[in-house]
Amino acid sequence: MKYQSEPLRDALAAEYALGTLQGSARRRFERSLKDDPRLRRLVTEWQSRLAPLDALAEPVQPPARVWNTILDRIQLASGGRVSPVSLGFWDNLTFWRRTAIVSALAAILLAVSLATIAPTKQPQSMMVVVMSDERSTPGMTVSWPVQQKGEAKIRIRVMGHETMTPDQAWELWMVPGGDQKPVSLGLINTAAEQELSVPRKLMPAMNQAWGLAMSVEPAGGSPTGLPTGRIMFKGQCVKL
Amino acid sequence: MADNDPITELMARCALRDQRAFAELYRQTSAKLYGVAIRILRRQDWAEEVLQESFVNIWNHIADYSTSRSAPMTWMTAIVRNRALDWLRRPNLERGDEDYDLLLEAVPDDAPGPETLLGNSRDARALADCLKQLSGNQRQTIVLAYTHGLSHGELASHLKEPLGTVKTWIRRGLDRLRGCMDGKIN
Repeated sequence: MKYQSEPLRDALAAEYALGTLQGSARRRFERSLKDDPRLRRLVTEWQSRLAPLDALAEPVQPPARVWNTILDRIQLASGGRVSPVSLGFWDNLTFWRRTAIVSALAAILLAVSLATIAPTKQPQSMMVVVMSDERSTPGMTVSWPVQQKGEAKIRIRVMGHETMTPDQAWELWMVPGGDQKPVSLGLINTAAEQELSVPRKLMPAMNQAWGLAMSVEPAGGSPTGLPTGRIMFKGQCVKL
Repeated sequence: MADNDPITELMARCALRDQRAFAELYRQTSAKLYGVAIRILRRQDWAEEVLQESFVNIWNHIADYSTSRSAPMTWMTAIVRNRALDWLRRPNLERGDEDYDLLLEAVPDDAPGPETLLGNSRDARALADCLKQLSGNQRQTIVLAYTHGLSHGELASHLKEPLGTVKTWIRRGLDRLRGCMDGKIN
């Protein structure tokens, strides 16, 4: 929708900055902001007019865990767990590539060591998937089989991720490869380590699959049976 | 905002992916921003979550700041406010009501108003002076909506006024505010 009249545009910008523009009107307005720099300018002007009211909120020291989580998340997003160092060092691309490779290897080793904790009756091959975000930073690993009283399960380790809001669900998908459609494996949670039961009849396909993907879906999971939201992590199956 | 503002300088270093600058930016601004989030959300766990997401967002989008033409604190506060408001407007989410009445007592419509607390910068004085030009109802609804993230509906039910009346107070109040402030600054 285009907001044509200038007084209407300014009134909407004002209520957006004030916080009283809500629901579908707020979302529609935010979509318009994306490609309307003049509208963004009106919002910025209103934010600046109202900003002195921020002085009415008492400063409160946040608990230390907030910063720790932020640091974890930005370090994960930028390629690995490293402590803050000087600017020149961060600009070194070779360092970054090496870090990304090292963290991918570490992720595989971690998945393997976790998978081997479960006692196995006979040596058998294992599938490991290191799932990464769009910057190729590993975010979770999935491995199987997990031996447990005849149930087919996969083991998931989440190393770092965005916050899941209550209106979201994270859905794990098997990506068979070729032009076959993804198959839902179910919803996962934010726990660092978890197991997910998978229908036994899916296991042969799992063992032949190209890889796995995890998408952000509305609460309760994808309404269509296929991924509808953003793919947060994906990765290729590796047989070990 | 002047170029030598220390927060602006930290943000420029953050845009070059300097994590130490980001740590310092957090140290200098987090209490203020957390206060803003708590004021709107009134729940510590939600405010922590929103603050966390906001700072990750600030880090990821800090390069966009240069095009925003606002003061650095205004830019960061807008991110926190939008996150907090989105959080509140999730379906099926209700804040407890018990605090509202206290809240309304804290901003009576005939009091000198919060404008005396806004500070002494030129912008703050302009806003304070212009808030005084509004009617008590206009001033009260605008200040409550902004500082506590109240919706039209929440304001109407707690002020026990019809929704249309509250909407009109806000719309006319904002209109007068803009006319008054543009006159002062330009």
